[in-house]
Parts: sequence; C-alpha cells; structure tokens
Amino acid sequence: MLQLASQIDVAATAVRERWPTVPRAAIILGSGLGGLTEEISVEATIEYSDIPHFPHVSALGHRGLLVCGTLDGVPVIAFQGRFHLYEGHDAQRASLPVRLAHRLGAEALVVSNAAGGVNPRFQVGDVMLIEDQINLMFDNPLIGINDEELGPRFPDMSAPYDRELMQTAAEIARRENFVLHQGVYVAMLGPTYETRAEYRMVKQLGGDAVGMSTVPEVLVARHEGMRVLGLSTITNVCSPDALGETSGDEVIAAAGTADGKLTTIVRGVVTGL
Amino acid sequence: MLELHDQIEAAADAIREEWDETPRAGIILGTGLGGLAEQIESPTVIDYEQIPHFPTSTAVSHRGQLVCGRLEGVPIVAMEGRFHQYEGYSLKKITLPVRVMKALGAETLLVTHAVGGMNPQYQPGDVMIIDDQINLMGDNPLVGINDDQLGPRFPDMSAPYTPELCEVAQEIARRENFVAHRGVMVAVTGPNLETRAEYRFLRMIGTDVVGMSTVPEVIVAVHCGLRVFGLSVVTDMCLPDSLKPAVVEEIVAVANSAEPKLRALVLGVLSHEASRG
Repeated sequence: MLQLASQIDVAATAVRERWPTVPRAAIILGSGLGGLTEEISVEATIEYSDIPHFPHVSALGHRGLLVCGTLDGVPVIAFQGRFHLYEGHDAQRASLPVRLAHRLGAEALVVSNAAGGVNPRFQVGDVMLIEDQINLMFDNPLIGINDEELGPRFPDMSAPYDRELMQTAAEIARRENFVLHQGVYVAMLGPTYETRAEYRMVKQLGGDAVGMSTVPEVLVARHEGMRVLGLSTITNVCSPDALGETSGDEVIAAAGTADGKLTTIVRGVVTGL
Repeated sequence: MLELHDQIEAAADAIREEWDETPRAGIILGTGLGGLAEQIESPTVIDYEQIPHFPTSTAVSHRGQLVCGRLEGVPIVAMEGRFHQYEGYSLKKITLPVRVMKALGAETLLVTHAVGGMNPQYQPGDVMIIDDQINLMGDNPLVGINDDQLGPRFPDMSAPYTPELCEVAQEIARRENFVAHRGVMVAVTGPNLETRAEYRFLRMIGTDVVGMSTVPEVIVAVHCGLRVFGLSVVTDMCLPDSLKPAVVEEIVAVANSAEPKLRALVLGVLSHEASRG
C-alpha cells in the first residue's frame, strides 16, 4: 500500500505542474454526462495518458480527460471518463482518481453514473440521488494491507453519502421544479446487462437502481474521509416482467436527456460547499 | 483480445483437420449426462489435450473429449466433459469452447448440467428448462477489453435462453408425458455445496435450482449471437429445512436415470433447429 501512496504522489505532482490550484471538489462524470464540463471555466485539461499510473480508458462514452478549472468561481477538477471493473481493472485501480483528487486537496466528491431503474416509479431521464449503496461487485478497493496514512482499516459505512449535500440537492430540485428520486444504488460487475431474474434479485434486495460503477469510488472516498454526493441518471427502466432489449447506445442517448438537471444540481451543490 | 481471436482460430483449425463438417449446433454435456454422446453417429472423437488452448477436464464423471458427428442426422459437436470455475480456470478459459463452436459454424448452443433443486415442487430426477439465470460467480467471462469482432461491449440479457426453444421443449415433454419444469438457475462458484442459510438466500432472490456451471457459457453464447437452449437435471433436493448430506455418487446416479428425458428434449430441440432451414 505504500506503493499506492507513492503512485498517488507522483500522479498529483504531474497534475500540479499543469494546474497548481487546490480544488475544493472533484466530479466524476458517468456515461454520456460529459456536458457538465462546458459549465467549467477551464484552466487546464490533462489527458489521462499524461497522468502517471492512470490506466487506459476503453469504455463506450468515456473520454479519458481531467478538466481543471472553476465552476461558478469554485475550483474543481472533473474526471471525464472513468475506470470500470468490467474493463479488467481491479477495484483499487478503478478508484485511483478519487485518491488523486483527495491528494490534490478536494474535500468533496460528486459522482454521477448512468443506471437502470428497477424501482417501478422511475422513468427514463429521471435523476436519483443515491441515498445508499450495495456492493455486489465481488471486489473491494480496500482489499490488501491497509495504509493508515490513507484511511482506517475498517471504514464506517453507516452513511457513505453526505446527508447535508443530499439535502442541498433535494432543495435545488424542488426550487427548479423537477423530480429528484432518492434511492439505493446496486453495483454489479457487468459488462452484461442484467437478466430478468437478476433485476428481480436487485429489487428483492432493496435496490432502486443498478449499474456497473461508483461503488468502488465511493468506498475509497469514505476511506479518505471525503464528503460524497452521488447521482444516478436513469437511462433505462428494468421492469423484469416486461423487459425490452437494452443497448449501450440507447443508454448514452438517454443519459444526455438528463444533462440539464444534473448540471443544475452539481453547480448548486458545489457552490454551496 | 486479439490473442483470444487467435486462440479460437487455432482450436477451430485443429478440429477441422479431424472433422470437416459444419456443425449445426454445439452441445455441452454436464455431470452424469455423458451417455448422449454414445448415440452420436459416425463420431470423430478428439481429446481436449489435442486441441490447442483447451483446458483439461478434472471434474468427477467428466471425460474430457470433443465428439463430432451426427445426432438424428444433424451435424453437431458435443463436449463430453466441461470446465468449471472451481477447478481454478478463469471464465474466459472455460468459455473458449463455446467461441470455438461458433467459429466452426454452430448457430445454437444446447447446454445441460446437474443442479440442486430448491423449488419444493421439484423432485430428484426432474428436468428443468432454464428460463433465466442469475450470475453469482463473482466474475464474468467478458471482463477485459472487448473485441467488437466477437460481440458487443454490453450484451443485452433480457432473454438469454431463446424463448422459442423453451416452448418447443415444453411441447415435447407434454407429448412424451413427463414433467419438465421451467425456472431460474443460479450459478455459484463452489466447489462446496451450499449451507442451509445459503439455500434460503438463493431461494429468496428468486431462483429454483443452483449449479456451478452454465452461466459463463451462456453469457459467451449470447455475446457471440448463438441461440441457447439450457436444461438442468435436478440430481438432489436442497430444502434448507430438511437438508441431507449430498453424496456425489448418488447425484451422478440420479443424473443417469434422467437421461431418457434429457435425450428426448435435446434431440427434439435439435430437430427443430435443423428444420429452421
């Protein structure tokens, strides 16, 4: 794990050389949600390939660019493109951006993803505030010898998502008059979409939305002691008794339709930090 | 992933050298279900060891050979003996034969396996047409960089088992007057059998039978666009509130006793596929 700490140091040094500001928050942009970066007054953009120890991005709809600048005057970094376990990364590697963000000084993590809605009240294009999560990925980024410098051996998970930030987000949605659900996000390994039986299982376990990311990043953010806000865009509704086919392109198109709502929430929460 | 492509080609070439027909279907025969292989006409038998990149089978009552020939006049390749995650193989390795079947020209995968029955309506020796599946193996054969030549990055799983073939099989069972259930199979890693608490858990999440195979092969079959027919043979009952210790020999014996039903369904589905033109 000492090796991990030194890898993060090297990566952070490379970013600081290009952009010396201390970010207040880090934002991880999920499938098709890259539009938020247009709201950032960009001061530097760094290709992932220029960041030491960062893996290569292969996922559909993910670019692989670190955007540094200010969002309504607040210094932020935004990860355009993330790493997934289904790409073959282990959970520790997939969550490297979060460690980097914390090392650069970010105190809050805003994480977004595209998810399938299993809660029957959800509709395509809706946004769900992640209230809690279930890890069904069969991996954990904290496996291995713990580096006490980075965080505790056994991080508490009683409230991985920050209640205050959730409240702020909920107020913004009310003020702007759009629906913002709250629910439980279940992460599975993928890359196959779920079968009908798997959707039923996810519902039975208490999940509202299901996806293939976010959980490793949030685990690491909590390990580092960061405040977390999580948002899922419902890109397809998964009612197991009337299931249609799902395609990656459809998911990305649906994610685009929620871009405006997501941008509004993230701007409001980040400026309130 | 190009490496995977080369492995598929090398294995397919080795098989073509021994047997030059184009199979209509690939068949995977599970624990105790190898008897069907004896019915294959003018068989060409190839040891897995002779096929490049094929792992070797170590499981009880799995032989480890590919039988190429004809069933009911339809050209097929049948795996007598399969590979399991609990043997220590990666899911990519386990599923290589499915990709090779596709490369040889197969359009349909027929897969059979022995399972524990958790649905209390089931009995040992019953067969279940697999309607759907849950992957609890903690891994997926498609993890890694996707080769778009082989299939899509995110395969749809809304109907992994071709509904038409489920219906064909149910009709055969009705005609032949035997019970064929239709249900949900969950795959776990094994090799230990489940605890009573685990059976309750698996039942609670909505499954009827539990096994240690098939899910990886079916995921890959869907990825490469094969039609899939899956059959579970209930070899023992796993009712958590009256659980008896499992005896592997008994499981194999029950699987053997179910063979006539299995044969009727596999041959019937195969004929249906051959008549699709």
